[in-house]
Amino acid sequence: MEGHQRNLYLYERLNARVAGVSRDQVDTLKYWAEDLGLSFPVFSNSIGHIGIWFETLEAGYPMFSRKTVIIDKWGVIRYMQAGHPDYRAILTLLKQLHEEEATR
Amino acid sequence: MKRAVWESRSSGLLAALCTALLLAACAPAATNVADPLAQMRQPDGAVVWQQEYRFVPPPAPWQLIDLDEDDYSIACMKLCSEGYPCQSTLAYAEEPFGYSLDFEERQAEFFKRFLWASRVTFAPPELRKVTVLGQDGLEAVTVGTEPVLRHKVRCKILFARRGERVVAFYFTQWRSEEKSFDPADEADFDRFAASFGFLQPSFYERLFPQAP
Repeated sequence: MEGHQRNLYLYERLNARVAGVSRDQVDTLKYWAEDLGLSFPVFSNSIGHIGIWFETLEAGYPMFSRKTVIIDKWGVIRYMQAGHPDYRAILTLLKQLHEEEATR
Repeated sequence: MKRAVWESRSSGLLAALCTALLLAACAPAATNVADPLAQMRQPDGAVVWQQEYRFVPPPAPWQLIDLDEDDYSIACMKLCSEGYPCQSTLAYAEEPFGYSLDFEERQAEFFKRFLWASRVTFAPPELRKVTVLGQDGLEAVTVGTEPVLRHKVRCKILFARRGERVVAFYFTQWRSEEKSFDPADEADFDRFAASFGFLQPSFYERLFPQAP
């Protein structure tokens, strides 16, 4: 999350927006986002259906595992990567999508 | 007769060899240790690191360490003979804690996270405008205390710019509360930072060549 916050000005330059999703309650996320100084939205999905859709809800474990998903402006999933975010791969793809966007 | 001469000579050679081995055992250990950076070492002593950075590493007993994490790009550690917590570290970080591109805001964000897991409380840092990597930078010096273990840590952070991004050099020196800090290690850090340079544009500079 801190890496995304650090790159926020670059995401804006590439016409991209970032949001986080977690199973934590709203109050927990609010405290956590304030403590980290995050300025992008972090959504609470305590029921967990988003985790089921994106296959980040492992059986027997109550939290989402980490996954980065990039969805283009036409609603197409263009990137899904589990684990620690690869910020350079994310920025490279966002730049490519931004260039595609200009030509469509 | 020949045999006797050979035996005499061979035992003389053996004695000389033993003497040489004994003398070698008395030599400082550093002279026997192979330079771990030898393959990256340039004729002037500087090291070329991943075709990206060029720097003069601090002398032994400083050791390059692999932290297996993303917080540091390059890091070295020096342990004291008296053991824990007496140690110093120096590092270059491409992605220092915090977010802001403004140095003063960044240092405030930085100290909220730096050494967080060590439960350190920092005194307000002394800030000074300096030149780092040939450009305007910011030096932040502070001492943190860990009240449970009664340890203290002196920190010097140099915030610098690579393209539009903020990068940083870290120095930490841990001591027990009653021990004094050793300025020699900090001088090694200053030389390391002063020697540092980039051999190519960063990932961000290549991605956004028109960026300010």
